Amino acid sequence: MTRLFRAFGTPLSALILLFSGIWIFGLIAAPQLIMIEQSLWRMERPTGAAEISVQIDGLYNQLDVLALDRATVEAETDAAKRAADLAAIDAKEAGLKVDIAALEETESTPVKVYTLANFGQMGTAHLAIFAKTIAASLAVSAIALVVCYPIAYAVAKLETPRTASVIMLGLVIPYAINELLRIFAWQMILNQNGPVNLLLGLFGFDPVPFLESGTGVFVAMVYAYILFMVFPLYNVLETLDSNQVEAARDLGASTWNIHRRVVIPHARPGIAVGCIMTFMLSAGSYAVPYIMTRGTASPWFTQLIYNRFFEATNWNVGAAYALSLLVVCTLFIFGMMRILKVNLKDIAK
Amino acid sequence: MGGAGAKHHPAPPHNTNQGMDPEMTGQTTGKAIEFDRASVRFGQFQAVQPTDLRIEPGEFFSILGPSGCGKTTLLRLLSGFLDPTEGDVRIGGASMVGIDPSVRPTALIFQNLALFPLMPIWENVAFGLEMRGWSRAKRRDRAYELLAMVALSDHAEKLPAQLSGGQKQRVAIARALAVEPSVLLLDEPLSALDLKLRQHMRAELKQIQARTGITFVYITHDQGEALTMSDRVAVMNRGRIMQIGSPDEIYDRPDNAFVATFVGETNALDGKVASCADGMALVETPLGGFRAANPKGLRAGTEAILFLRPEKLRLLAAGETEDNQIAARVVRRDMEGAWSTLVVETGGRELKLHLPHDGRETLASGEVALGFKAAEAVILPKGEMSDD
Ligand SMILES: Nc1ncnc2c1ncn2[C@@H]1O[C@H](COP(=O)(O)OP(=O)(O)O)[C@@H](O)[C@H]1O
Ligand SMILES: [Mg+2]
Repeated sequence: MTRLFRAFGTPLSALILLFSGIWIFGLIAAPQLIMIEQSLWRMERPTGAAEISVQIDGLYNQLDVLALDRATVEAETDAAKRAADLAAIDAKEAGLKVDIAALEETESTPVKVYTLANFGQMGTAHLAIFAKTIAASLAVSAIALVVCYPIAYAVAKLETPRTASVIMLGLVIPYAINELLRIFAWQMILNQNGPVNLLLGLFGFDPVPFLESGTGVFVAMVYAYILFMVFPLYNVLETLDSNQVEAARDLGASTWNIHRRVVIPHARPGIAVGCIMTFMLSAGSYAVPYIMTRGTASPWFTQLIYNRFFEATNWNVGAAYALSLLVVCTLFIFGMMRILKVNLKDIAK
Repeated sequence: MGGAGAKHHPAPPHNTNQGMDPEMTGQTTGKAIEFDRASVRFGQFQAVQPTDLRIEPGEFFSILGPSGCGKTTLLRLLSGFLDPTEGDVRIGGASMVGIDPSVRPTALIFQNLALFPLMPIWENVAFGLEMRGWSRAKRRDRAYELLAMVALSDHAEKLPAQLSGGQKQRVAIARALAVEPSVLLLDEPLSALDLKLRQHMRAELKQIQARTGITFVYITHDQGEALTMSDRVAVMNRGRIMQIGSPDEIYDRPDNAFVATFVGETNALDGKVASCADGMALVETPLGGFRAANPKGLRAGTEAILFLRPEKLRLLAAGETEDNQIAARVVRRDMEGAWSTLVVETGGRELKLHLPHDGRETLASGEVALGFKAAEAVILPKGEMSDD
């Protein structure tokens, strides 16, 4: 802190601190805090609602009694007395009605109660979907890793820098198209009567229900998030000294052993970053499962969250669901870092 | 065609197994290397001209040349990361073309050492043994033995980054020796070290070579390294071997203008052969006519360059005569430690001479008489010269 002030002077340092503060609060703290707060309460019927209801019933009874009284009074012949009695009954009635209205208001106005119950709302069905989403996201990360590692290695180590940059550019260009369009394109490709099934048909295969079986979600997700695996891998592999690979080979290492002992250990931070990104994007994806399955396969967990918010309009349970997902993702990050023995410093590189 | 110097010199007598360290038991001894009109082309670019070369078993052979002349490329033909575009490369009589680096009887020490940064030192050394399927306990023992040999036992569990330059250098050597190669290939391994350490490592390398009897192929652009360590040196330029010979031969009897100028310091004078007889010639130069050795048998009338080492040029005392004499004026004296370089001017040119540091060199000033023996200067055909 004192270093900062010495390096930039007081006004500039204050500004830097202010902006970092806004950044940390606005981008990191505020959304999480809102979600956490939202997930921790729900609206409930007020305590003692049953007694109030009995009270209200009693008041209604009194109204009925007043109606009987009114009938008796109307039989009264003395006009002056009748008018006075009616006025008295009217006043009583009005008073009762005000009381009833107030009590009814209390009875029906829910109160905000802080509770962990929102997290307990997940039934076995939802838990299963949650587990399936996590497992599928893990699988997407694994597939992306297996697909991207050889590509990234080949581009980083076997191509000249010029060719490598052209190839990387080629990989980026499709991502200039809106994500939704790309997913719809895949939806059409894998459709029951899409080109893939058409091709399979030419070879005499029956159409494969890619979309209905959930395969389509995998394909589209690997496709949609592959870039987030390729780039970290490419970046880290590019920094690998080719002499290391040659030294290993010279000392008798097979291709497999070169990768096992030299390349993969070097690539660990890139693998960690790539897996974390693809996992989080997959687990948090809404559009891909929504478009690809058209509701024909069991939903993705994000869809449940969305439903809590906008269909069941139970924002509190929605927030609790969202938070559960966040917790799992965070655990995944630390798990990956543990497994790959990388720390935050490596990842930041 | 392998250049003018591709003729085969007989290998020096070399007793390989003498004084072998007991710790080095099990070492295979060196194998011979043959290049048979081997050449390398990258697209249109001829990196190595067709080369014939034989390196004897157990020889310390250096390849010396300026940066970019194709030394590393030549070495890669041996390590197996490159196959010759044409021709053949043999080690121990067996053709190596198409043989993977992992199964060649060679080990390579890289210019940047290429230690594995994430493995402790002992695992670095044991890597080759691990790849050969040795058990962890066995290869660990062997790694410790090798580390003891290079005085690094205390550092076995450290990571490469925790070691100094010289220590890393020795780890790289131990790692290469662990696989018991017949041929050790070294690509400018000392270039990253400072001068003192470099000189120390020269001696150490030479010792290891003598002890193990492994054939060393040592690449360098530093002539001091090549001359001090090698049994024989090949001087290379533009993908061509310009001369092969012992360090003395290379220095005293350069085969061409390039070798004469690249190895050691020299004074060069353009001229024309006036007459020749019995391996000697009279050359007309802008500084006058001089008599010099004529190993190439240049005929009268041909253009030639006269080369004269600065230490062969002497100050003449009053009345003293010499085969060749020059009158000159002293420009300055550069103190070099054991000797001084005297820069003199004559006929609009500068010449250099080395004077021993014996107290008399400081007296030289003003007009001086210089002389040199005819046999100590040499004339060679005009050709490319090194500019450093
Ligand atoms: N793979 C390659 N492709 C194209 N040119 C190369 C390749 N490797 C080396 N060269 C060229 O060959 C020449 C010799 O290179 P090198 O053997 O590394 O030189 P040295 O080791 O003597 O400095 C250089 O001009 C270099 O640019
Ligand atoms: Mg080189």
